[in-house]
Amino acid sequence: MRTTLKIALKVLLRRKFFTLVSLFAVAFTLCVLLVVTAMLDHVFGPNGPDDRRTLVVLNAEIAGEHSRMNGSAGYGLLARTLPGMPGVERSTIFAEPRERTTYHDGRRIVCDTRRTDGEFWKVFRFDFVEGGPYTPEDEAQAAPVAVVNESARERFFGSGSALGKTFELDGKRLRVVGVVRNVPSVRMLTFADVWIPTSLSRSDAYKQELVGDFQGAMLLAPGTNGSDVSAEFARRVSTIPLEDARFKTLSAQAHPLFVAVASSVLFEGRPAAVVGFLWLAALLFMGLPALNLVNLNLSRILERASEIGVRKSFGATSGALARQFLLENVVLALCGSLLALPATSIVLAVLNRSGFASYTAFTLNARVLGWGMLLTLAFGVVSGVLPAWRMSRLHPVGALQGRFE
Amino acid sequence: MVRLEDVSKVYRTDRIETTALDAISVTIEPGAFVSVMGPSGCGKSTLLNVMGLLDAPTGGTVSIDGAPIRGYRDREVASLRNAKVGFVFQSFHLIGDLTVADNVEIPLLYRRMAGGERRQRVAAALDRVGLTARRHHFPTQLSGGQQQRVAIARAIVGEPRLLLADEPTGNLDSQMGEEIMAVLHELNRQGTTIVMVTHDPRLAETTHRTIRLFDGRQVQ
Repeated sequence: MRTTLKIALKVLLRRKFFTLVSLFAVAFTLCVLLVVTAMLDHVFGPNGPDDRRTLVVLNAEIAGEHSRMNGSAGYGLLARTLPGMPGVERSTIFAEPRERTTYHDGRRIVCDTRRTDGEFWKVFRFDFVEGGPYTPEDEAQAAPVAVVNESARERFFGSGSALGKTFELDGKRLRVVGVVRNVPSVRMLTFADVWIPTSLSRSDAYKQELVGDFQGAMLLAPGTNGSDVSAEFARRVSTIPLEDARFKTLSAQAHPLFVAVASSVLFEGRPAAVVGFLWLAALLFMGLPALNLVNLNLSRILERASEIGVRKSFGATSGALARQFLLENVVLALCGSLLALPATSIVLAVLNRSGFASYTAFTLNARVLGWGMLLTLAFGVVSGVLPAWRMSRLHPVGALQGRFE
Repeated sequence: MVRLEDVSKVYRTDRIETTALDAISVTIEPGAFVSVMGPSGCGKSTLLNVMGLLDAPTGGTVSIDGAPIRGYRDREVASLRNAKVGFVFQSFHLIGDLTVADNVEIPLLYRRMAGGERRQRVAAALDRVGLTARRHHFPTQLSGGQQQRVAIARAIVGEPRLLLADEPTGNLDSQMGEEIMAVLHELNRQGTTIVMVTHDPRLAETTHRTIRLFDGRQVQ
């Protein structure tokens, strides 16, 4: 292995210009993939409040022969399906955040507000810097309370504690019971500036809706098979009677967040297809620089013929040589990844400072680095297989004589 | 040690058929030092390649240690080459990116062997060819004779019983050539069987026996 690595590095240094071009291509490719991975991790990874194993219900659709209505799930659908679900520790129903404008001490303040039940604070784990959440009892009694994030606290009350202080929103005066750290706006289940009990809504009409502006999340009990819960959810959905004669079918699905989002866009209800599609996209993106590297490696067969002949003469099998050349390519990819990491850090820092999404902090955490390592290895293998195979198939006598038939 | 029975080797292309070896039958006894002579293109190197299992014969049988080689499957012939045969080439074929020690170590990389034992064997092989002091040098820092001695160390580091040398002095001046021949004779005295291709009748005279080829046929 030591000798193989030594040769790999020597080969890279032998033709510096081509190596530089290859390294740039590898580093650029991996940098883009790492940025995308870091963003996906920030949006879907187990970070922040929703860091536990949950299934979510985002969308619902009712359809008939001539009519179709789809959108976020309705409270009525979620209230009839989530409670008492086997294998689920807790479930919560919460609305999508809505931008609200209010005035406080003569200042205009715009804040994203989310209506939730009391269980919301038990399913998701927020980092409270002051006070605590409102309770299921608060929600049942429509208590005029709110939890705000640090940004909202600052905008409403300036520095200092906000506990017990009040502000007006949608014609109601709300008392702050807790302050949480800012949640990035890309965390679609938990982000908001202000959280208030769902029951503070002006009307109860939302309680009947099958399609509306709510989402649901189920915290899975340890050892629970998520597929079983998904299946039970689908079964429960199928038993809901449709009172509107225009509609014949109701559909909604419970999936892990990433699958729920991706499958609603790409492959409805087929998680394996989503994951396969993403890998295919990554591989295709890696394709061009990989082809460049394949070409470069193939051209290097000429200069390495003697080495191939010698190694075969002294007992190397074609398989051993193929492994050696593949390893060399992976080393090149790893060198490229060493360049890609600082480049990725810079790009992420620029994105974080750009303010294109509130409270985001894209980082190269261990999970992203792990994916990066996997992508690097995939790149090294994809671009190295063909040259390794071609080199390893050379006839030893021909290789020693510089013939390549 | 090696036995060739009615071995032939024919190279075919779309238009031309070239007979490199024609019905060669040779036995190389253990401990022998045999030279192979003949004009250019008469099949000397091909004979060596067939003996060393680098090339499969078109017809006939090659046996090593009494066992005929059949099928020439990659893994099996690679293993046999590694265990039983060492090669010395006219143009050395050292890997320029590796040090002397790393070059010598190559045959051992394809065996299950601990790093410590590999290093010991490399040191012993370099000691036998008198290049211990040059172990960390690169091939380009050595003279032609020294490079060929490195190639010999590489050929013997795995302690093969058969050493195949294809014009080992062909690229060297006479003094360096004599040095290399001295090393080969010493190896032979220590029990290594050697088959050497050469154009030089004086070198052939120093071996136990000479096989002469002409147009792929054995003439002596």
